[in-house]
Amino acid sequence: MARNFRIVPKKRGNRSTGSKWWGRVIEASLSAAALAVGCVGLVIVLNRVVVPEWRTNHQFVEHRCTVLDARLGEQKTEDGTLCRPEIRIQYTVDGQKYVVWTYSKSWQYSSNRAVEQAILERYPLGPEYVCWYDPADPSVAVLVRGYSLWFWLTLAMPASFILIGGGGLLHVVMTWGKSAERRAAQAQRGSPLDLLDAERAGAGFPCVPAPASVTNSPGTTLSYRLPVVAASGWKLFAAMVACLGWNGIVALFACVAISGFLEGRPDWVLTLCVIPFAGVGVAIIVYAFRYLLLASAVGPTLVEVSEQPLYPGKRCEAFVSQTGRMRVNSLDVLLVCDEDATFHQGTNTRRESLRVVEQAVYHRVEFDLRHGVPFEARFPVEIPAGTMHSFKSDHNEIRWKILVKGEIAGRPSFVRSFPVIVCPAANGSNGKVNGQAS
Amino acid sequence: MNGPLVRIRFDGNGRVYRPGETLSGEYRIESVAPDEIKAVEVSVLWYTEGKGDEDLAVHSFWRVSAENGDRSDPPRPGRFSTVLPRSPLSYRGILVRIRWCVRVRVFLTRGREVMGELAFRLGDVPAARAAGNGHREAPSEKATLA
Repeated sequence: MARNFRIVPKKRGNRSTGSKWWGRVIEASLSAAALAVGCVGLVIVLNRVVVPEWRTNHQFVEHRCTVLDARLGEQKTEDGTLCRPEIRIQYTVDGQKYVVWTYSKSWQYSSNRAVEQAILERYPLGPEYVCWYDPADPSVAVLVRGYSLWFWLTLAMPASFILIGGGGLLHVVMTWGKSAERRAAQAQRGSPLDLLDAERAGAGFPCVPAPASVTNSPGTTLSYRLPVVAASGWKLFAAMVACLGWNGIVALFACVAISGFLEGRPDWVLTLCVIPFAGVGVAIIVYAFRYLLLASAVGPTLVEVSEQPLYPGKRCEAFVSQTGRMRVNSLDVLLVCDEDATFHQGTNTRRESLRVVEQAVYHRVEFDLRHGVPFEARFPVEIPAGTMHSFKSDHNEIRWKILVKGEIAGRPSFVRSFPVIVCPAANGSNGKVNGQAS
Repeated sequence: MNGPLVRIRFDGNGRVYRPGETLSGEYRIESVAPDEIKAVEVSVLWYTEGKGDEDLAVHSFWRVSAENGDRSDPPRPGRFSTVLPRSPLSYRGILVRIRWCVRVRVFLTRGREVMGELAFRLGDVPAARAAGNGHREAPSEKATLA
């Protein structure tokens, strides 16, 4: 035997060794089972909860009754004693007298004894009250109507099974016997959003992100101001939230541990558990404080370019403006291209990134930034000939961006990222003509 | 006797095309009787390879199906022709690779299927190499549920 039979097949792409036919059969079976469970559950819920509650609210007949007795009905469970209000009423329908214990249609037991007792106190013995009886069976009556929370919760459960099962089954039926290419062709034909994106791209480059995302903000010095990928304000906010959240929880446990020591009853297990978490908390405080220092010293960074989209082998002009109040050891502007891949590993979705182009386009050392006087620089940027254009599909991406990196005296360095769109050259040579940059 | 086989050939035996150029050629289905063929699908498509999950997009798609009254005559070659798009260009990156190909899928009786594929290059972007310092971001977890 040349190779062993795989019990657990490989799952990804062309390396998949599992049977697609069996995969589809199992998918269909699971979807059908979920749909069946949902349908059965829906019938039960309709029969037991929804229809009775609906009938109570719409078909029961209003009437008058007298309260004869009231008590808290009890039910013993593992978690303690549950109770519910039980009120004995008397009413007459068509000359026939009925005496029943009742309250509402759902009539659930609850652990909140005080609330249930308060309900009983609303029904002192003697006076007449409004009640509703079932015209189909006058021996059934209630003192309150309305829909309970259970009404919606119980509907949601079978509905979710029906949606998952039905959707899965529909997907199997729609794609059964169809090749990956046919499904892709049908999906592309039926996706107006893709066509719209292609239109928005303007230049009509499929799978190249629309330049509109980086050209919708005009610049003050050059034509286009580039958006920053991740604003430092949000990072600072996230660092502060993480710092407060983590240390708040750790502080609660630390208080309990310290009070144990003060009372002469130290809890060593709790103390030993709290110490590593407190260490992480200190690290988060240091990180957040460094970020706060950086954010307070480094002002906004602006990057503008003279053209968008850019083309391999073509040059454009760029402008950088940096505000703040600090001593800058070095400021670098880089043109970079990253490959990003998203993949499934087990039940997790992971993302990996690799830099394939990194080109310094501006470098300045040792200068001071003063309040109200921004540092400004203009310089040329050339997309290297023979490089790949921007590309984006569901799981793979090629991203071009301009990075501004600063080294600041006595503070952590900062990096800000500004996306640019690179389109392929019209002849597909990507900036090279006979091996030379055009 | 050999099993069913699909042979694909580009006109002029070209393998590198420019955006907007016309890609044309023919395919031939061998060792199959005409009444065995239920359908033939011809696709000009690109797909990704590499670290990420596979993405696939079809640029042109033709289907010849016996159910629709179309009749395939295996000894005679079938032809295809399409104007290639402006992107994405073929790319040999490190994490991401984009490959263009013509794929012919033949659906036979009794659920059998035979496929032929011939790759070509759109554009001439050279293979990528990792940048100087090999900057590589560690995999980051995005979600816990697939």
